[in-house]
Amino acid sequence: MDLLESWALSLIVFLPLVGALVALAIPKEREEAVKQWTLLVSVVTLILAVVVAARFDFGAAAGFQFEVDVPWISAIGANYHIGIDGISLPLLVLSALVVVLCVIYSWQHWDEPRNPRAFLILMMILATGMNGTFVALDLVLFFIFFELVLLPMYFMIGIWGDRTMRKIPGFRKEVETRLYAAIKFFIFTLFGSAFMLLGFLALYFKSGSGGQQSTFDIPELIARGHLFEGTFAWLVFGAMFLGFAVKVPMWPFHTWLPDAHTAAPTVGSVLLAAILLKLGSYAFIRIAIPILPDTARDWAPAIAVLAVIGIIYGSLACLAQTDVKRLIAFSSVGHMGFVMLGIATLTEVGINAAIIGMVAHGLITGLLFFLAGSIHHRYHTREMSRLGGNLKLMPVMGGILGFTAMASLGLPGLAGFWGEFMALLGSYQPLPGLSTSFFRTAMVIGAIGTVLTAGYMLWMLQKVNLGEPSSEWAGKEFQDVDRYEMAAWAPLIVLIVAVGVYPRLVLGATTDAVVGLVETAFRAVGG
Amino acid sequence: MILNQFLILAALLFCMGVYGLLVRRNAVMVLLSVELMLAAVNINLVALDALWQTAEALGQIMAVFIITIAAAEVGIGLAIILLIFRNRRSANVDELNLMRW
Amino acid sequence: MTRIDWLAIAPEVVVAAALLVVLAVDLFLPRERKYWVAALAVVGTTLAMVPVILMAVSGDNYSMFGGSYVVDDFALVLKGVFLVAGYLVLLISVSYIESDRYYQGEYYLLLLSSLLGSMVLTSARDLVVLFVALELTTGPLFLLAGWRKGDLRSNEASLKFFIIGVLSTGLMLYGMSLLFGLTGELSFEGIREAISTGGMASEPVLGLAVLLILVGFGFKVSAVPFHFWAPDTYQGSPPPVTAYLSVSSKLAGFVAMLAVIYLALPAATDFWGPALWLMAAVSMTVANLSALRQSHLIRLLAYSSVAQAGFMLVPFAGGAIAENGLSEGLGATVIYLVIYAVMNLGAFAVVIAGGRRIGSYEIADWRGLGSYSPRLGVMLAVFFLSLAGLPPLAGWFAKFVMFRAVLISTGPAGVWLAVIAAVNAVVAFYYYARVVKSAWFDQAPDEIPEDTETGPTGPLSLAMGIALVVVLVVGVFPGLATFFGDAAAALVP
Repeated sequence: MDLLESWALSLIVFLPLVGALVALAIPKEREEAVKQWTLLVSVVTLILAVVVAARFDFGAAAGFQFEVDVPWISAIGANYHIGIDGISLPLLVLSALVVVLCVIYSWQHWDEPRNPRAFLILMMILATGMNGTFVALDLVLFFIFFELVLLPMYFMIGIWGDRTMRKIPGFRKEVETRLYAAIKFFIFTLFGSAFMLLGFLALYFKSGSGGQQSTFDIPELIARGHLFEGTFAWLVFGAMFLGFAVKVPMWPFHTWLPDAHTAAPTVGSVLLAAILLKLGSYAFIRIAIPILPDTARDWAPAIAVLAVIGIIYGSLACLAQTDVKRLIAFSSVGHMGFVMLGIATLTEVGINAAIIGMVAHGLITGLLFFLAGSIHHRYHTREMSRLGGNLKLMPVMGGILGFTAMASLGLPGLAGFWGEFMALLGSYQPLPGLSTSFFRTAMVIGAIGTVLTAGYMLWMLQKVNLGEPSSEWAGKEFQDVDRYEMAAWAPLIVLIVAVGVYPRLVLGATTDAVVGLVETAFRAVGG
Repeated sequence: MILNQFLILAALLFCMGVYGLLVRRNAVMVLLSVELMLAAVNINLVALDALWQTAEALGQIMAVFIITIAAAEVGIGLAIILLIFRNRRSANVDELNLMRW
Repeated sequence: MTRIDWLAIAPEVVVAAALLVVLAVDLFLPRERKYWVAALAVVGTTLAMVPVILMAVSGDNYSMFGGSYVVDDFALVLKGVFLVAGYLVLLISVSYIESDRYYQGEYYLLLLSSLLGSMVLTSARDLVVLFVALELTTGPLFLLAGWRKGDLRSNEASLKFFIIGVLSTGLMLYGMSLLFGLTGELSFEGIREAISTGGMASEPVLGLAVLLILVGFGFKVSAVPFHFWAPDTYQGSPPPVTAYLSVSSKLAGFVAMLAVIYLALPAATDFWGPALWLMAAVSMTVANLSALRQSHLIRLLAYSSVAQAGFMLVPFAGGAIAENGLSEGLGATVIYLVIYAVMNLGAFAVVIAGGRRIGSYEIADWRGLGSYSPRLGVMLAVFFLSLAGLPPLAGWFAKFVMFRAVLISTGPAGVWLAVIAAVNAVVAFYYYARVVKSAWFDQAPDEIPEDTETGPTGPLSLAMGIALVVVLVVGVFPGLATFFGDAAAALVP
């Protein structure tokens, strides 16, 4: 089975891309064939991901497995180096799963101007970018995949996005939401990643200063961490921080997120929330912290402050929303704040919290965006003031919405709980050397944030789900959850419960890897 | 030394050429200014060649090439100016403002 | 001593022969058979590739005419690039020129002359050959810019281009005469040695000479502040000529600049380093900001090409700062030139194809192109986003090596230039994306433009296809492009 060892990850990454190319050859009119084909491709990808997870040696989760390392651009020393460890495994599986669910969901739900073939092709390219980012172990390769994600999402938002006209401050005329959101999303991310690339290049050149060959290889750079110090390391971390923080997004770089999420078609929002947001925080754990641990320690308080501001800001902003989808988008800012708070503690608990928080947020917020899409599909509005009594009109969907909102506010026993709880736990006892009182203050503010989260989620539920349907909807027949929706949502619901009850599902893979990461990064330096 | 006078003459001619090229409005005068610039270059080259006394007379060779090509260039320039004059009955450079920013 | 190696000058001989054949055949062909002229020109450029490839395979170097004319890896690589670019431009031109049925023979004659000039240029190793080759490259372009004789805009484009062209030549020549006066040499090697043995690296006259030469080249490559002719000339010229201008003529300027700076003046970094740093920074910024307000596609591409020239200058500045930056910078610039040539020609091919169908180059008129002509729409997106430098399209690698070449020095000058370039790369994306947005996101007009092309469309499609394949393949396997950079970097003494 060596063949599997060496090819499984490459297949997971590139199968969707090949699928997209093949789909290009299917005539546009044969929509069913295109749908079946992409479903097949994404399911095979998922099966491969599950097989990889099954064959993954959890006893050695700290090291990279399924590694492939072959020369790619020899002239600049960039290799095609991929592999997974306990940190990337859960995210890779999550990514493969969400893509399948998105294909299923979109079977019957098309935003204007339809054209399923083009949409599914974009989705497959997106899948390649996302899976690739999670397995890349070379900075140039990572950069390529990180950027590859942008284009399909740009087109998804721009073509299938929300067409309502909006007055944007600074523009004379009203603009269609999708146009504004698409370009804003793109410019923000590109701005960050341009600086990220500069940081990568600086690392590359500096890595050669010990008399060795310069390298883009992530494990190799981690081993040479001692070469990077002082102002140089501080600036490089700053450059990478810009790239990653925009993607997370951290306050104050988050402003693209509500716009992009709100304007994107349902599936686009789901992919954005479930996977794309994870790329940034994953990059912090994979690249920034292990390569520049000392600088990370200098930056940690700043990251913690921004994270806490994000938590509070996200919650408060949610309370000001009238649009369900926008509310969910802002809730992401808060949840990613917890993830970043966990990372900022630089402890095993905190980083574990971040990963389980990422997985949980992927499952829960993904599902919430599915629900928001379906609600919009039924009512043709997302204004909370017009909705209400959803539970009466559509009992099943209302029930799922209630369940997911509970999961999102961090109800113990569901997936959302662990990320928030452990992040707060981590900040009670941050890495030695970081100010304990500072992080405990952050913990208290974060705890207030959880209360606020509960507040706006319940408020949203009350507005949308409870009460009597307004006269606008009275007497109308609504199709409750259809079978495509059910098929797409059931796995998410099951996983939310499963991770909530049995968090070892994620932590079992991550713990060893995180311990290894923290050990090598901080113990050696005598922390 | 005699060299300086040549260099100063060339510099003056060159500056006149550049000035004329930038401020003259009639296209033919612009063309003449170009010739002035190239003449300055030739004077420079020949004078400096006399200074260096290079075995292959490098400076003079270059000057000959410049003279030849300048002639061809002026041919092209006159052709264009003629065309413009035919189309708009004027060879005034200032009036060429169909395209701005 | 004056032995002539016929293989070494075979590419030029073939092109020159094709040029003469075109001129002769054109006289005898009746109007409706003029397209044979185009075919001959295409065949000529294709044949000229053969000796280039032969020499590249054998790997020998040739030096002729007392070292004035050298065929080495650098020259071969760039001859190849010029030939491919010329080949693509010929393909792009066919349907446009054919539809006017108007001086076809002359068009191809002039195009081939300019191509011949740029091929000689790559081998020039002294100032005389360099000057003659550069003039042969640009001279025919003055006429081509005014090729639509009855069109006032075309006239205007031609005259503006001419005046700026001769002004730049004059400045450059004056600088060269000073350089000659200082060193008593015309060959690059002689100048380099005279400067180093005479310890003249910080002589003020040298500074003046270098700056004048740079100003001259600045006009040729249309770098800010010597760029103002470019938008007008680009807009007024026939679009295929603009495509050629924005690629080959810019390339020629850069090749001349590379040769003079790296071969003759590597010691004078104190003069050209800061000057090019400034030129690069200002070019990127000013051109990008101006491009943001353009509504005319070709003017947009004109400003984009000015901005791209700025990006190409960045490695020069890096080369001046870092110790081993010269060869790195040379390689980076050449890689950038190669990738830029292909993607920009691709972009122009799409613009010409779309323009013929839509009948306008206003970006707003292109709305909805993707919905009624997905093929053109996809091409448009690919080439414009490649120009913006997005992975996995070839443009990213050009930007990547550019950043790499300037960051090789960790000094503040290099870092700041890299930061300016990074910000500009983002700004540039905005206007490239506007075109894509118009083609894909906006509603198609009520009256969808019919496809009324009557002339042959095959060549144009072929050009687009070639460019598309190159952009995609090089984007994924950039190692292919580094070959050019490595070959060229061997030039640095």
